[in-house]
Amino acid sequence: MSAESLQEVLASARLLVTCGPGGVGKTTTAAALGLSAAAAGRRVVVVTIDPARRLADALGVDAASSNQPHLVADAVKGPGSFSALMLDAERTFDDLIRERAGAAAEQLLNNRVYRGIAGSMAGAQEYMAIERLHQLHHSGEFDLVVIDTPPSRHAIDVLKAPDRLVLFLSHPIYRALTMPSRSLARITNAASNAFLWTVKRLAGPKIVEEIVEFFRSLSGMEAGLRTRAAEMSALLRDEQTAFVLVSSPRAEAIDEATFLAEALAEGGFHLGGVVINMVHPQPPPLSVALVGALADGTLVGPLAEQVGYHAELAALADAERVELQTLVALAGDAAVREVPLLDHDVHDVAALHELGSLLIGD
Amino acid sequence: MQPDWITASRVVLVAGKGGVGSSTAAAALAVLGARSGLDVLLVAVDGKPGLGPLLGGSPLTATEQVLRRKRGGGRVRARSITPQQAFADYLDLKGFGGILRRAASAASLDLVAASTPGMEHLLVLGKIKELDRTKAADLIVVDAPPAGHAAPFLRSARALQEVVANGPVRQQADEVAEMLADPSRAQALLVTLPEETPVNELIELAGEVELDLGLALAPLVINSCWAQRPALSLAAVTAARRSEVVLTAADKRALQFTNRFGNARMAVQHEQLARLAAALPLPRIVLPRLPTPRLLPEHLELLADAMGVVPS
Repeated sequence: MSAESLQEVLASARLLVTCGPGGVGKTTTAAALGLSAAAAGRRVVVVTIDPARRLADALGVDAASSNQPHLVADAVKGPGSFSALMLDAERTFDDLIRERAGAAAEQLLNNRVYRGIAGSMAGAQEYMAIERLHQLHHSGEFDLVVIDTPPSRHAIDVLKAPDRLVLFLSHPIYRALTMPSRSLARITNAASNAFLWTVKRLAGPKIVEEIVEFFRSLSGMEAGLRTRAAEMSALLRDEQTAFVLVSSPRAEAIDEATFLAEALAEGGFHLGGVVINMVHPQPPPLSVALVGALADGTLVGPLAEQVGYHAELAALADAERVELQTLVALAGDAAVREVPLLDHDVHDVAALHELGSLLIGD
Repeated sequence: MQPDWITASRVVLVAGKGGVGSSTAAAALAVLGARSGLDVLLVAVDGKPGLGPLLGGSPLTATEQVLRRKRGGGRVRARSITPQQAFADYLDLKGFGGILRRAASAASLDLVAASTPGMEHLLVLGKIKELDRTKAADLIVVDAPPAGHAAPFLRSARALQEVVANGPVRQQADEVAEMLADPSRAQALLVTLPEETPVNELIELAGEVELDLGLALAPLVINSCWAQRPALSLAAVTAARRSEVVLTAADKRALQFTNRFGNARMAVQHEQLARLAAALPLPRIVLPRLPTPRLLPEHLELLADAMGVVPS
């Protein structure tokens, strides 16, 4: 496969997933890439599932408007459009239950085990993120869905969520718990017995009843969940789905990005590009005379501080360029883009446009 | 020798948004504690094996290693705690055996945890509570999961108290909540960067931690702060005149570039620190921005120096 620029990826992908370590500007990168695609005429929605809600800061989406695409007015000119969505996993889960569980829905929605899982269990959050993505992808309202994943290792959990759900549904304990039977006593499967006994000893009998009730109610939805999980798994590996790995040039971020890149390759996901954010700009060089004067101590006063700062920044920029070679090697055929550490924070649409042109420009 | 806050509690939970350097801050605190003659246990709960090499050792595992020894008997020991290990230890401690032991093997912990929200976090916090109870070290520094995950981690005991009415899990949750609410046993050291989003998240996290859990806040740590360089605000030619040097046009341009960059970043830092001070009027510790992309053990000593300055 030949190298594709980020611009080409943005023009052709239907789904774009950004992933990377925490604190490297992943959310702003996702938003800026989406905005660039919108500026090029596509209808784009950017979804964030980061509980830190960084995109909300940048785009004015708030908890009240969560889970629905919010058109960012006047973000782009021309035929394209740019929307943002802050994911509410719990609401997605509730909607899914209402849609699929039929008569059992209300009971299930009030089940404490369900409430606990929908509200806080990591796996459920991630599964629901993909579910919402799938809905947006098939809504016909958008040409491109951009999703920003939570930092690092948790990103892989998101991607594996559909596969994990299928595994969970195939688990012998789950199978035993959802077998039609009139009472708890009828459950004879040793594994599920031991499981329930463990929970009972640790957390009390009340929760056991609710667990059984929860799994029973879920069983009516099983076929639908399985089909959907398989579709989502295929969508994530589709050739029109591109992953963009975002990192900074700091060693610990690069280590995490390396881990992610390997996990993506292993999972059969398509790497569409690597963005190295927050690279210190390489300043224009100073004359040897001035640098020498600082080194031998003949330069004093305010200029010494200025030259010293220049030297520090130049050395840091050099050292970062050495570190980021690891990522360049890792990218293989995928496009690599360096973005300088800007001298300001990105938190409005104008700054996102600027970042976008740094990401795709020449 | 050391600021008072370090010995205010045995357990210090270090937390911050991903990428702000909370693990680095935890390691620097551990080094500072050891310098003060304390026996320090550094605990990683988020699978951050890299803390070991940063302290000059091998990657962290469940097996404890001694990473630093300081004159005066202080030392840094370090290990990781995963929910699986914590669960096994818990069952040992409670004398569970036989069928429960087998049922609760690592494979089914996933299901138990899935069915009992917050269980994994509680197991880890429960293990930390045991370490506190048995006085396993003078200072127990916990590198907590990054924010977004830090709040659910710290709140797991409270969440389980709501769901579980009785039994050993309830007892465990009660004991953990009690430890977190006791400032003589536990405090939170929250870490941020002098940038907008990390500051927002710190303010949010501090509210959750203090109001919901009654967890005492140690000084705030502001990591990676640019040093004050007043001369950068001078025009390059003015600075050159005062230093009695004549600049070439190229040198002037190069210095204008770095001065402008430095001043802009400094303006962001000032603005965010002022905002933080207004929202959270707490003592703070400022860690310097180190001009390197790769932290080495010697850098940790510099950060420990800064960590030891009495907060203001």
